Amino acid sequence: MATSRRMFVKGTVASAATMSAPGLLSAQTTPSQAHTVRAVLHGDLKVFDPIWTTANMTGNHALLIYDTLFGLDDARNVQPQMVDKWSISDDKKTYTFTLRDGLKFHDGQAVTSSDVVASVRRWAARDGAAQHLFKRVADTPIKDDNTFAIVLKEPYGLVLEALAKIETNLPVIMRKKDAETDPNQQVTTKVGSGPFRFNEDETKSGQRYVYDKFAGYAPRKEPPSGMAGGKIAKVDRVIIENMADEQTAVAALKAGEIDFYEIPPIDLLDQLEGDKNIKLDVLNKGGNVGMCRLNWLHPPFDKVEARQAMLYLIKQEDILKAVFGNPKYYRSCASLFACTGQMQSDVNTDWFKGGQNIAKARELFTKAGYDGRPVVILQATNIAFMNNASLLVAQWLKEAGVNAELAASDWGAVITRRAVKKPVAEGGWNIFITWGSGEGFDNPIGFVAHTANGEAGWFGWPKDDLHETLRDDWALASTLEERKAVARKLQENAWNYVPMALLGQWAPPVARRANVSGFIPLPAHVPFWNVEKT
Amino acid sequence: MLSFIAHRLLSTVVVMAIVAVCIFLLLHLSPGDPAAIIVGDNATQLQIDAVRKQLGLDDPLAVQFARWLVGILNGDLGVSIFSHEPVSKLIGQRIEPTVSLALTTLVFAVIIAISFGVLAAWKIGTWIDRLVMVLSVLSFSVPVFVVGYLLIYVFSIKLGWLPVQGYAPIVDGFDIWIRHLILPSVALGLAYVALIARITRTAMLDALAEDYIRTARAKGVATGPVLMKHALKNAGVPILTVIGIGIALLIGGVVITETVFNIPGIGRLVVDAISQRDYPIIQGVTLIFSGVYVIVNLLVDLSYTLIDPRIRY
Repeated sequence: MATSRRMFVKGTVASAATMSAPGLLSAQTTPSQAHTVRAVLHGDLKVFDPIWTTANMTGNHALLIYDTLFGLDDARNVQPQMVDKWSISDDKKTYTFTLRDGLKFHDGQAVTSSDVVASVRRWAARDGAAQHLFKRVADTPIKDDNTFAIVLKEPYGLVLEALAKIETNLPVIMRKKDAETDPNQQVTTKVGSGPFRFNEDETKSGQRYVYDKFAGYAPRKEPPSGMAGGKIAKVDRVIIENMADEQTAVAALKAGEIDFYEIPPIDLLDQLEGDKNIKLDVLNKGGNVGMCRLNWLHPPFDKVEARQAMLYLIKQEDILKAVFGNPKYYRSCASLFACTGQMQSDVNTDWFKGGQNIAKARELFTKAGYDGRPVVILQATNIAFMNNASLLVAQWLKEAGVNAELAASDWGAVITRRAVKKPVAEGGWNIFITWGSGEGFDNPIGFVAHTANGEAGWFGWPKDDLHETLRDDWALASTLEERKAVARKLQENAWNYVPMALLGQWAPPVARRANVSGFIPLPAHVPFWNVEKT
Repeated sequence: MLSFIAHRLLSTVVVMAIVAVCIFLLLHLSPGDPAAIIVGDNATQLQIDAVRKQLGLDDPLAVQFARWLVGILNGDLGVSIFSHEPVSKLIGQRIEPTVSLALTTLVFAVIIAISFGVLAAWKIGTWIDRLVMVLSVLSFSVPVFVVGYLLIYVFSIKLGWLPVQGYAPIVDGFDIWIRHLILPSVALGLAYVALIARITRTAMLDALAEDYIRTARAKGVATGPVLMKHALKNAGVPILTVIGIGIALLIGGVVITETVFNIPGIGRLVVDAISQRDYPIIQGVTLIFSGVYVIVNLLVDLSYTLIDPRIRY
């Protein structure tokens, strides 16, 4: 049969219509672009269990689909979230909580005290701050479907603060059957009681993660403030796009293909600032604090003089300028608890006020008996801050007469080698660079880098008994003023024995399309309630 | 012919076995610990150790290899350490974007490169020839990501004609599918165009110097048929060979192109897996890629018989 031109055209049009039909159908059943926010965050979402991992990407996922018992407001005051009312016994050992009415999970089941207790107990098995609290917990009795209690063996000052914790591991409430999962196993379901529900069908692992507004969510009546107040979903859908390339993400933002970019590269900020369709905001006011972890197990940093030398050696301004360029986004900081939180102070920081002093550092290394052996710095070349800071620290060490050697690799290899406790010659290390959130630094109990319990603690393994005693005192203090006083003692002691050296604090902006607003400033995480698109 | 195919397929199995051993050893002997990445930066060593044990990463290397090998022999590529999804499922989800990108790149590159190569050979020594050669050198020298960023800047941001990034499945409509593939295909295909165009030009020059071309011209055959029917067909074997070799170039380029254009293909899958030391994914994808490479070259070898009847297997 011969094919006429007319038949060919008809066939082509019919084929095109057929191939386009699924797209048209899909467009009719999904929220419109006007009610969808597309965001690129700092990485890919690989693990969905916020109790099992401390990854902040998982924390972002958790804030969308789960809810918490309490939340910290903008002023860092603890406010109820899922809890309606609570009371504390006269002996300060029994905390009784009543849940709000109308709380339900995304599968339609009501949130009960059983779900809450199982969730809190699983969180306590993983999280540092929770473990500190639960060492003092005698029982967690369930009174009825809406009422439960935490009974302490002794008064503890941070019960509510721990339950309102804003850093990973987040104390989110899961269904009892999920929360009863072994804490060392991942929960793979994604059913919470938060303002958004996870859309498994539309999600494509490694590409995009889709969250739809949960119509059954009952927000609080108070205005949103930090993790507290009404978590009102003002858009129908949030899509978290996994976009590995920074240039592409910036181009996509400029072209309007995405609405929000959590970590635009510093060197492209000028370009974004000049675009009237883009706004830059610093949401995470506390930002991050860089730290130089020193290995206490081997020379030279097993000697206090060598660790003190590092305080005089480092010029934070140079590192920050090299990485972040614009002083608007960074600051030098000598406080052990960062320079934006409640615990900050300038106690015992004369070493900092005098500025960099290479000669003094050289003198201290000599006092430490430094014998010229190689000092190995683990240099994560794929992360700009770690790479540049390692280079500068190595240069300063050489100027101070130290035989500094850079061990270049990617971050994945650094986190393996940093766990090696053997001497340098057997694959160990002396220094690695990393950072923690400003919010984390402000908390002597919750932040793992603040431990000083030797080899049982975090990488670098500092050990100081007074520090550990003071951390306990901090947790047991009953008022903010008492805690601040203990924090000052902690800092005074710390800058004598030197658990680590600090590298400055920075708070870079996020970038968003001008028609998308309402992002709530939170440390380390980006919540999507209250976000609207016009 | 059949014994040739059987022999080549048998050698494919051997090649893939060697690849499997090499990739396993390279991955597991290089530094990096997926358990430490999974639990996050603030985790303690105890938490990391617990995850290592749970994932079987503290088993002896031989045990881990045997476990993986038994899985492979049973058609099971393993399970992602991070997402807990089967590797075969993850590859299946990502195969459409990668195959689409590879096919559109191949079509674009072959059409443009052969046209330019034939044109350059026909106009040898003229400005056209020199222009084609200069463009070839440029295309081959400029990295894929630089071309990608330039294309995005001009055609997506400045002109707004095409999307910056992403992929639309073909079921969403042919127009949206092809719009998402134009820029990545051009970026990825340029180096391929350069390679094929240069070989085409050289092979065409050899063919055009042959006696049968002179005979054809003496018989009054027009330039078009002389070039396309007589010369190009006889220049086909080296061109086909370089297309086959170029598949390796394409596979390497796909990884970068998918990252620059945010295409959720197998290239992105493996890049993400490498940064997170997701061993089963890296091993599975490498095996698949090596198999594809060997089979494509087998098909190229077989296709020689179609264009040159003197070749027999």
